[in-house]
Amino acid sequence: MYVVELEKVTKVYSSGDLAVPALRGINLSLESGAFISFVGPSGSGKTTLLNLMGCLDKATEGGVRIAGEDVGRLDRRQSAQFRGANLGFIFQNFNLLPVLTVYENVEYPLIMIRKEPAAQRRKKVREILERVGILDQEGKFPAQLSGGQKQRVAVARALVTDPKIVLADEPTANLDHATAFAVIALMHEMREKLHTTFIFATHDQKVVSKADIIYSIEDGLIAGTQTNGAFAAAERA
Amino acid sequence: MNIIKIAIRNLLRFKRRTALTSFLIVLGVALVIVFGGVGNSFKSEVIDSLTGTSLGDIQLHKKGYVSSIDNLPLDRNIPPQAVKMIETTLDANPEIAAYSERIRFGAMISNFQTTTNIRFTGVSPEREIATLPKLLERVQAGGGTTVDTFVPPGSIAIPQNLAAGLGLKVGSSVVVVATNKDGSVNGLTLRVGGITENISGPSGRDGFMNIEDARSLLQIDDGQITEVAIRLKNFDKLDSISSRLAQGFGAMPSAGGGSKGSMQGLETGAPKNIGAPPSPSGANGNPSGLEVHTWAQLSPFASVAQIITLLLIIVRIVLAFIVLTSILNVMIMSLYERIGEIGTIASMGTTPSKILRLFLTEGLALGVLGAIAGSIVGTAILLVIGAMRSRITFGNMHVVLTPQIPTAEIGLAIVMVVVISALASLQPAIKASRMEPVDALRHV
Repeated sequence: MYVVELEKVTKVYSSGDLAVPALRGINLSLESGAFISFVGPSGSGKTTLLNLMGCLDKATEGGVRIAGEDVGRLDRRQSAQFRGANLGFIFQNFNLLPVLTVYENVEYPLIMIRKEPAAQRRKKVREILERVGILDQEGKFPAQLSGGQKQRVAVARALVTDPKIVLADEPTANLDHATAFAVIALMHEMREKLHTTFIFATHDQKVVSKADIIYSIEDGLIAGTQTNGAFAAAERA
Repeated sequence: MNIIKIAIRNLLRFKRRTALTSFLIVLGVALVIVFGGVGNSFKSEVIDSLTGTSLGDIQLHKKGYVSSIDNLPLDRNIPPQAVKMIETTLDANPEIAAYSERIRFGAMISNFQTTTNIRFTGVSPEREIATLPKLLERVQAGGGTTVDTFVPPGSIAIPQNLAAGLGLKVGSSVVVVATNKDGSVNGLTLRVGGITENISGPSGRDGFMNIEDARSLLQIDDGQITEVAIRLKNFDKLDSISSRLAQGFGAMPSAGGGSKGSMQGLETGAPKNIGAPPSPSGANGNPSGLEVHTWAQLSPFASVAQIITLLLIIVRIVLAFIVLTSILNVMIMSLYERIGEIGTIASMGTTPSKILRLFLTEGLALGVLGAIAGSIVGTAILLVIGAMRSRITFGNMHVVLTPQIPTAEIGLAIVMVVVISALASLQPAIKASRMEPVDALRHV
């Protein structure tokens, strides 16, 4: 079953008379429950592709179906609701809300978006915080956490709503080597336990080495596809 | 955790900025409440003094009298038939607390050595005191300070400056000379029974005498009077009662004709009549109808009261600008500092309407908290002013400031701040809610 289907997707950024194509007719189908990585040089179109799959942006041309929904037809409110119901996001800079504690950051999507009852919310938040190994930090504010802890909170926040897909844009870029490994291992473990589809845009070989499928993007086109760890080995060679 | 909690936390995030903005709002609200309380207290005290010592709440005159009031004309008196109808009407009106019939005239007063001019009001003491309950407070100790001793027949009360000028004391004998309507001059020897403060101003020359003495001096034997001063049970109904009285008198049938005047064509005296030349009917000494005037139409203080009201409106407008600019400033700064956060919560699925509510709540919270704190500060200041019982001299009046807590003003200030806070937050909130998440996220 495909959780993401892209058909002849084109994205062109326009500024006055200047039109810059970011994606040029991409066809893509991603299977549910996979650990997928998009790699490529800066400006190749990775983030643009992730934005389209995250319903954060619209394609200039072509069809984008996420979890069976033609997201190109959704208006702003519907897009937001769709994201809240189906998607989770992990950002390079963690993007935790500084005025909320660890617990509240993870609770936020359940209150503001899902409106789940308090008891159910508490259970879910504590459960996911425990799974990512940061329950003991639940009362702290983001400013009191290390980079690795922040990203664990971000992973918990992305997963607390049981999304079909988690989209992560350079999730390890601001982490040291050991922490990055730990965060990748955590996401991999979560994928194993929750069967959530993880899609990354990354330069990081540590992420790439863990991916089931690696798509190489160049100049807005898919230049190659590898499975398991073979792609990383081939790159190193 | 809810929107209000997040809004409060966001406000506390920039403590100094929030404190400064809140301080401005508190200051503005407190200013409105204090100014409203003190201004209204001053106004009501002065109005109370004016209506309670000289004017009454409403006055009735024969048409054309007020426009020539400086001359105290005796040919524009209310005829006896009309007086009876007025009495019948006022006695039947449950909203009238008291009324006093008066004869006003100009005269000369002499201590047998020196003579000077004076304006007298002939009154029935009991009715006058019932209509002007504060009048006796303005009579100096020594005589005439009770209903029984205030201008009984054969006695007059004169203002202190005039008494000092003529060297008169309570008990002194004087001669009062006046010209009656027909032009003959009459005199009466009377006793000074009381000395009043200068009720009509520092150069006031207004004295009181018993209405029977006035009739005797002016040789009025048919019951005509110059005016009727009326006190209402509820001053707040002044305009409506005044209007109804004018309509009531207008509906009365003719009370007679000829040179004594008639009740035909009774009409409300409007401010436009004040200072206008006498009407043709008045000029021939045959005016018809009655004029009904409120105190505000007879006293220049009405303009001062209007200026106080205008100043209060200006203070409210200043408050509105303070709230508008400070909250707008805070919210715009907050918006630009949090673009990345807006992108984050939008990407998580927060709908545009919720983002709008979040920013609106922040602005409203700032306004509401400021308004409540300002109300408390303003009320506290008013209580302190009230406890101090500050005495202000306004003209010849001594006013003790006893400001009431202006609940309506407080309510208005809070509502105004809340509405303006919402308006000031609206533009930044709309801007935040309309941000494309993908653009907002790039600001991280």
